[in-house]
Amino acid sequence: MSDPHFSPILVPLGDTSLLVRFGTRLDDGANRRAVAFARQLAAVPPSGVVEVSPSLVSVQLRYDPKLIGFEALCVDVRLRIGAVEGQATPVRRERIAVRFDGEDLLEVAAALGLSAEVFVAAHNAVPLRVLATGFAPGFVYCGFHEAALTIARRTTVRSLVPAGTVLFAAGQTAIAATPIPTGWHVIGHTAFANFDAGAQPPVRLAAGDEISFEALS
Amino acid sequence: MIRVTRAGPLCTLQDDGRFGLLATGISASGPMDRGSFALAGGLLERAGTTGIEFTTAGIGLATDLPVRVAWAGGLFRVAVNGAALGWPGTAQLAAGDRLEILPGPAGNYGYLRFDREIDVPPVLGSRSTNLTVQLGGLDGRALRVGDTLALGSLGQPQPDVQSATEEGPIRFVWGLHADLFASAVRAAFLEQPFQISPKLDRMGARLVDKAAVFSGLANLSLVSDPIVCGDIQILGDGTPIVLLRDHQPTGGYPRIGTVISTDLDRFVQLRPGSEVRFTSVAVARAQGMMR
Repeated sequence: MSDPHFSPILVPLGDTSLLVRFGTRLDDGANRRAVAFARQLAAVPPSGVVEVSPSLVSVQLRYDPKLIGFEALCVDVRLRIGAVEGQATPVRRERIAVRFDGEDLLEVAAALGLSAEVFVAAHNAVPLRVLATGFAPGFVYCGFHEAALTIARRTTVRSLVPAGTVLFAAGQTAIAATPIPTGWHVIGHTAFANFDAGAQPPVRLAAGDEISFEALS
Repeated sequence: MIRVTRAGPLCTLQDDGRFGLLATGISASGPMDRGSFALAGGLLERAGTTGIEFTTAGIGLATDLPVRVAWAGGLFRVAVNGAALGWPGTAQLAAGDRLEILPGPAGNYGYLRFDREIDVPPVLGSRSTNLTVQLGGLDGRALRVGDTLALGSLGQPQPDVQSATEEGPIRFVWGLHADLFASAVRAAFLEQPFQISPKLDRMGARLVDKAAVFSGLANLSLVSDPIVCGDIQILGDGTPIVLLRDHQPTGGYPRIGTVISTDLDRFVQLRPGSEVRFTSVAVARAQGMMR
């Protein structure tokens, strides 16, 4: 569990980005604070900041060093951290239909001591939050599943899975929106496409959104 | 239009880059050597935003219309209709002329800029090719023989650019995982020479760690955090890799530091086999050099 009093760490990412870290390991509290803080910053960006990008437990602020230096930006950011709300309400709620036909589905269910049917029902039982984006175009990490549904990654990496592949590991479900290599378990496929290079914006989901998964029979 | 008559590997169209899409999962791309890209543009009175980035094998072009062209970056050989010209430089090409960029003694990347825009559609606000996600440029891919590039409107006036001539170690700022490396490892990183390996592309350049600075590194399980261009990441087998313009936006391998913006251009031009040393600087100092 994350310590609610954990004060974020500010570190430089090179000479044009600042990283605000709400934790050094993935947990729900750190993720919620990162998402909420990113949203607050994006609404009213600090002077000199040109891009705000939330990650699993941190927020990247890309800035123009000709407009503001690292130390001055840290002062501004520290003042804003005190005002963060711990909860960011979802901007968007999305129902995503999944065909649970992944090649690892039976193996995953068995590893959890469940039948495939019971696993799918448990997987879809409660809505998940989009924890983070950014790994690949349109890719989303969604979580968290209850502890009983937590399973480690595969020991080997599949070199490429197609767009729409629904992945499962580490208490999360992820959706690939472009072909990617992955060490996660493939549990299904969806027609939901979260990346369109011709659209503005090119993605539909953002960190903090709420996803309800539904099984397509 | 311009026709590609010869193409080395990984020649791409690039403009300044596709910024602002990190949360979408797209890094900025743009020229590997930004200074040389700007230098080529500055040799022209007007230049289109988009140019050709070529690699060590060079590239050959033929044009069926008059166009002014400039070249810079690394040290290549160049000829128009077989007549050798100086590097960097410019030429006014007439319809039917052939431009050949041939391998030269130094550098991995060179640039061609034209007085007009290369008429490919911008994708998400940029014509830069991102080879990792196959986006932008010409169908998201590298140029190949037979490709044709239409030329559009006249480009914009360009600022004069001075060519940089820095030497010495590559400077970096300590990274978000620097504290996870033992102090002896951090010290060795500053003391030992590394070598540029042949495994380099727009995503990153692997280094040869001859002194085995990172060989005993424990396999750390880290939460995924944002990556920036220049990050010096240590892979699970101890191989250091400097992540470059087409990097993945996030990653979970430990990063000891980040090459400063001022030294990135110089770093990407180091050829495989070159020795490279690293030295740390404070962020404020790195930012002072950018002004």
